[in-house]
Amino acid sequence: MGIKFDNVNYSYPTIGTSKYALIDVDLNIDSHHEFVAVVGHTGSGKSTMIQHMNALLTPSGGEIDVFGVKLSEAEKLTPIRKRVGMVFQFPEYQLFEETVEKDIMFGPTNFGMSAEDAKAKAKEVMEMVGLDAELLDKSPFNLSGGQMRRVAIAGILSMEPDILILDEPTVGLDPQGQREMMDLFYSIYEKTDQTIILVTHDMNVVSEYCNRVIVMKKARKVFDGRPRELFSQPNLLDEYNLDAPQYMKIMKKINEKMDLDLRETVLSLDEIVSELKKIG
Amino acid sequence: MQIVIGQYIPTGSWIHRLDPRTKLMSLILIIVTTFVIKELTTMAAMLVLTLILVQTSRIPLTRFLRGIAPLMILLVFTVIFQVLFNHDGDLLYSLPVFFTWVTVPALIGIIVLYNLVKRKIKFRFLFFILTLAAMVYALTFNFGPAIWTANIHVHSGGVIFAAFLITRILILISISSLLTLTTKPTDLNNGLEEVMKPLKRLKVPTEEISMMISIALRFIPTLLDEANKIMKAQASRGVDFQEGTLRQKITQIISLLIPMFIISFKRADDLANAMEARGYYPGKLRSKLVEFHYRPVDYVVMVVVVLLIPGVIYFGL
Repeated sequence: MGIKFDNVNYSYPTIGTSKYALIDVDLNIDSHHEFVAVVGHTGSGKSTMIQHMNALLTPSGGEIDVFGVKLSEAEKLTPIRKRVGMVFQFPEYQLFEETVEKDIMFGPTNFGMSAEDAKAKAKEVMEMVGLDAELLDKSPFNLSGGQMRRVAIAGILSMEPDILILDEPTVGLDPQGQREMMDLFYSIYEKTDQTIILVTHDMNVVSEYCNRVIVMKKARKVFDGRPRELFSQPNLLDEYNLDAPQYMKIMKKINEKMDLDLRETVLSLDEIVSELKKIG
Repeated sequence: MQIVIGQYIPTGSWIHRLDPRTKLMSLILIIVTTFVIKELTTMAAMLVLTLILVQTSRIPLTRFLRGIAPLMILLVFTVIFQVLFNHDGDLLYSLPVFFTWVTVPALIGIIVLYNLVKRKIKFRFLFFILTLAAMVYALTFNFGPAIWTANIHVHSGGVIFAAFLITRILILISISSLLTLTTKPTDLNNGLEEVMKPLKRLKVPTEEISMMISIALRFIPTLLDEANKIMKAQASRGVDFQEGTLRQKITQIISLLIPMFIISFKRADDLANAMEARGYYPGKLRSKLVEFHYRPVDYVVMVVVVLLIPGVIYFGL
């Protein structure tokens, strides 16, 4: 069970010529323990694709099946949005309630959770995103940018989605904030059985955290597989206009400078270390 | 969500090519003229002139009718009140109406029926007129015990004045639509600034007004885009913008409006800083990117339009 795209096409409604944002996309995402990265150039159809996953957009051709519900046959789309939680870019802009607690409770109560349960859930997710429970009674607009973003993410987590989609969640944060944010998602991924789908431009994130990567190019899905598979083929990276992860660049430099022939497809610091150990 | 901003339709007609200042001043003068005119025949002639302008703009007539549609109710009530209560001139027609214990319930029945089925009717305006006619017709029957009887007197003065008012409204709407349909919003704004220039002597901050208008126009698409994003984000949190009870509707609107306000303030702040960083100082003399130049045709149009008012006054129309 999960999300299944079957030959999905999508064209934006424009006057005159139609512009395709998705062409013949086939995709299968399981709801159990996957950490999927979606990468690609701006305008490659990443955002359009993930918006199909929780039925914010419906395909103009093909079929999408979300947890056994076919989008073309579904009467109401809201139940799908409970199961597939979506965190947009700059999610802090979606905050609107008077207190942090109320804002976190907004999603769950919309999906029919009782007020007490939602309150308890709010406490739980606040801890999950690493915020102090004291903040619950504060206005979300008095928080710092990073805190606001965490509250917004907590607002989605409180809905207990089976799949969590994150659209560039680290944009606009300082490097340390980015690191903390990614660690947060990774801890959620490790603790729960959830699948996390992450749209990103950062190849380091892909190499370090994800176990699957989908590459979009010009409205088509051009690659779907393990990050190691993608990064081990430099020609593919060139073709998709993707950067290599930092660790691979470092390894390449080491090889060049020290005239060595070590494996260059390294995805973490540990791998670099173990490669270096080989030469003693 | 589909909101059309600016109604400019480029057809490249001679009206499109007129200087925006000419068009703005002509609009003002023509509006004044319609209020100076006293006779129905002159007003009709004005309408013909307007229609000629509309035709030569090569913009489909349906676009103008769309502007008139929202005012239809106003027009209908103008006609009804003038015809019923204006008792000038000759008596044209007299109709006795009877409010009895039978016709009044029938009247209420028609109103209820109208409200029940009006959602399902496509030609709602036509339906409205028919309902009105049915109501009047029902009153002409003298059944049952009478409550009150009256006579509807239709006088020629009322009919003529109603026609006069309708013609005036038609002219006003078409001529102002003509301006917005044939002029780009930016040109219109720049033209407005030029036309308002004399007001600067009266300490009216014309440049600031024009800057405000152009910023507002510039940010409408941006804010619509943001609204779309926020709507999607809230939809992901279970807000169903398509339906809901009144209470839910209120929450839906709040969940959209508060983020929109916050975004707008933030954007305003950023924009103000960016403008200041580039040396914008309110009230300082600034050069223009686009400078307007009058062409011969502009002078001709201006002369014709300026002569309209004295012409109308001189001929005592």
